[in-house]
Amino acid sequence: MNIRLARIEDLMGMQACNLQNLPENYTMKYYLYHALTWPGLSYVAEDHKGRIVGYILAKMEEDLGPDDDPHGHVTSISVLRSYRRLGLAKKLMVQSQEAMATIYRAKYVSLHVRKSNRAALGLYKDSLGFSVHDIEKKYYADGEDAYAMRLSLKP
Amino acid sequence: MPPAAASGIPAKRVLASKEAALFKELLTLYETRQLKKGQKAADQILKKFPEHGETLCMKGLILTHMGKREEGLDLVKKGIRLDLTSHICWHVFGLIQKGEKNYEEALKSYTQALRFDKENMNILRDAASLQTQLRLFDSLVETRHTLLKLRPQLRQNWIALAVAYYLDGKLVDTKQVLEAYEKTLKNVPDYDIEHSEVLLYHVRVLEELNEYSEALSLLDVNAKSRSIVDRTSIMEHRARLLSQLGQKDEAEHAWRALIEQNPDCYDYYRGFLGNQDIDLDSITNENRGRALHILRELSQQIPKASAAQRIALDVAIDGDFKESIKPYLTSGLEKGVPSLFVDIKSLYQDSQKLQVVQDFVEDMRHNLSGAESSTPSSSSSIEPPTTYLWTLYFLAQHYSSLSQHSRALELLDEAISHTPTLPELLTCKARVLKRAGDPFGAARLMDEARLLDGQDRFLNTKCAKYRLRAGLVEEASEILGLFTKKDAASPGTDLEDMQSLLYLTEEGDAHERNGHLGLALKKYHAVEKVFNEVEDDQFDFHGYSLRKFTINIYLNLVEWEDQVRSHPAYIHAALGASRIYIRLHDDPSLVASCSAPAQLTDAAKKAKKKAKKAAQKVQEDAKKASPAGNEDKGLDLVPPKDDDPEGLKLVSGADHLERAHKLLAPLVSLSLNNIEVWAISFDVALRRSKYLQAAQALNTLRTLDAEHPELHIRIIEFHKALSPTTDSLPPSTQSFVTSCLSDLLPGDISLETFNSQYLQRHSASATHILACARVSRKLGAPTGEVEDLAFSLLKPEVALDLKSGMSALVFFKELNSGRIEEFRSACDLKFPLACTFKTPSELAALRQNGFTGNLEVEEKQEQEVLS
Repeated sequence: MNIRLARIEDLMGMQACNLQNLPENYTMKYYLYHALTWPGLSYVAEDHKGRIVGYILAKMEEDLGPDDDPHGHVTSISVLRSYRRLGLAKKLMVQSQEAMATIYRAKYVSLHVRKSNRAALGLYKDSLGFSVHDIEKKYYADGEDAYAMRLSLKP
Repeated sequence: MPPAAASGIPAKRVLASKEAALFKELLTLYETRQLKKGQKAADQILKKFPEHGETLCMKGLILTHMGKREEGLDLVKKGIRLDLTSHICWHVFGLIQKGEKNYEEALKSYTQALRFDKENMNILRDAASLQTQLRLFDSLVETRHTLLKLRPQLRQNWIALAVAYYLDGKLVDTKQVLEAYEKTLKNVPDYDIEHSEVLLYHVRVLEELNEYSEALSLLDVNAKSRSIVDRTSIMEHRARLLSQLGQKDEAEHAWRALIEQNPDCYDYYRGFLGNQDIDLDSITNENRGRALHILRELSQQIPKASAAQRIALDVAIDGDFKESIKPYLTSGLEKGVPSLFVDIKSLYQDSQKLQVVQDFVEDMRHNLSGAESSTPSSSSSIEPPTTYLWTLYFLAQHYSSLSQHSRALELLDEAISHTPTLPELLTCKARVLKRAGDPFGAARLMDEARLLDGQDRFLNTKCAKYRLRAGLVEEASEILGLFTKKDAASPGTDLEDMQSLLYLTEEGDAHERNGHLGLALKKYHAVEKVFNEVEDDQFDFHGYSLRKFTINIYLNLVEWEDQVRSHPAYIHAALGASRIYIRLHDDPSLVASCSAPAQLTDAAKKAKKKAKKAAQKVQEDAKKASPAGNEDKGLDLVPPKDDDPEGLKLVSGADHLERAHKLLAPLVSLSLNNIEVWAISFDVALRRSKYLQAAQALNTLRTLDAEHPELHIRIIEFHKALSPTTDSLPPSTQSFVTSCLSDLLPGDISLETFNSQYLQRHSASATHILACARVSRKLGAPTGEVEDLAFSLLKPEVALDLKSGMSALVFFKELNSGRIEEFRSACDLKFPLACTFKTPSELAALRQNGFTGNLEVEEKQEQEVLS
């Protein structure tokens, strides 16, 4: 599959992919906000017909505390079930992390995952190298807790 | 604000000093959104000066923010009438119109406001956004010029002018502005992302002006000084520019560096080969060997470069292909890559490659099945059993794509009995059944797949989609509800809010197939609404992107928005709705039968009750949440409550064709290469007696495919519609329409001969034969003759596919043919798995089969787990 920087015309495909895979969904405006604020951070995987089969939607954290290092945040990442076992999530993550580090000098990258989502937890921990930094109580709209995970980026 | 004491202020605007101070306060209160206090201040002024236009407008604005739009708008209008030369009054009116997304009227108000306050920065900036939204680029340039003259020290104003020139297509001016801007810069902070974006924009402009060496040197200087911080962008621009300049060695180096950084990006390989004058999209026998050699080298030098292997499969033929496909397939099957077949399917355009793949994987299956049946201890095979499974899975997809459905099903049944718990096998079987025409069996299998992994939304979505394909609308909704927000009025509401085009189009289609035309129209119009929203979404970015300096992607946004409706979902919805509107127009009895509320099934009643309850709860929660009334509801128009949830008004309205025309108009102006768009546009234009538009649609159809069945039918329709009315048309229309028709229809032969010549040219194509039969009927041929023609679809030399068979059956129904039974049972034999050709009682039994019906049990279990 083709891995490349997300373009404006990919955003609707990313939204469709997200809706098909994950319970956390966003309207188009939120995708636009990501693309038009951090145009270098989101990546897509596309098949031969140009269909988006996986994506990473990423940003830089805006509300930094006084002691906080600049860091990236993965808003959403997913790959269609029928395109698994190709390591696409990892490839997408690697490209986005590289961009966070070079363009915005990010020191680490963070993301949230539902406590109950064991499959995703496994992906982030084992394949992508994240570790649990904190637990955020009732992070999700339905009251579920989130693991706040982090991965430090090489300087 | 203009100074209050300035001379020439109209008497009616002058306030006593106490009220003048209050008015100033009112403006501040509004700016800080202290709405309640602002309203009080306004009331206080109005007590003394009830005809003070500006105060009335400000009060109206505040009321609109508080959610009292009608009352507010009345006050604003009254205020303007009382003070027609106040920029405040016009500005307020413009703000409210902008909130209603009425951009044209808003810009008119802003233009009025600017007449009375030429240098008001806020108004100028808002006007610029409106001009961009309306694509009035030359006025935009003027506005940006004014802003720059007023505040040349603001970086943003320079960039804004450069962007305006670019949008207006004036690249040379853009370049000059950027150069002037860069000269004004002093002490750019290190590592400034905003400056970096501007420099990349400058490079882009030079590149688009074909000034490649200037672009390259600007890029290099600023990359070296680290003024441009985006490394990937630097490398991509550099590689492209070097290739353009013919500096092949350096370019090769740059492309290679890109491939090393992202070995899965196809564009980089395209660039690498392009740099060696090899166009990957049209490989010739002269350069094929060289291309393969390069790709092999890249694979060896950069082991991560997996895309190179895949691209080589496109390029290679004969022995080379055989040699490279084998390891590719073996590795995919051993790893159990589910997408392997989809990945290589595009190679099947070459029938030799198809055969090579089939032979190899069949061989593999043969060898592995031997290993399977032998006892484990004596096994000489090192393959794990999963490889065998994925081989069967691959072959099933292979045969299904060749329409060998029963072969595909055999293979899948073997695989499923081997491993019953792999959802992919069941989803694949579902797809095979769907293609073979059994949507009910397909839906049931998809449900079984879903049950194997209840946490997976992908399987959930598939299952719901398959239920919709089978017309099981309420049953689909229940499934979707397992993942949608629990506090939404219904699963559909959540999906509509989240702009799920998949859901909206699929449910619209399902309603249409079930004959619920009003509900179908609702869904199709909901798709239209999503695209309206996406178009409105860009508005805020006209200002935002300039503040953030993300100009490059912003320019792409503006361009993309202009053709966003060419998205397949919009086309699908616009065509679907238009077809329904045409049916309603042609057959008024349909309006009556669809206007009665649909008979609800028990499941639907239950779902409706649940939705009503949830909606009530949402309203109650909203009431509880809203505080004493200082809440700012913004200026954006909130759509009123839907008073036509079943689409009855859409069905019974008198404006069917106008609605269809409105949906199709953006597609016509995008002039897409889509046969159906032009065919349906013709149908609507003809019924609206817009003969010029109809003729233009036919002309376009002819350039797309002069022999297309949809065109053939419409030529005759056009001829028949025109012959009685031609003389009454205005002369210019008349001459255009006649000349168009004479291009399409030779004048020296009868329509019957025209039709039979067409049949002779396409006697083996089902869609063409059917078109002939339809034309024959329109020309008044005896029913027996038309039937005979349609029956020729069953001849062995005709390639009849399922879809054409289905349309033929519909045609027999339209004919009221006595031979419909005969046709139906013949098709039933030809398409044994397809449901369409079953008898009604058989169909009812199959429908029952569409879902397992154990959802309630499942829900109970889920509740137990949760409690």
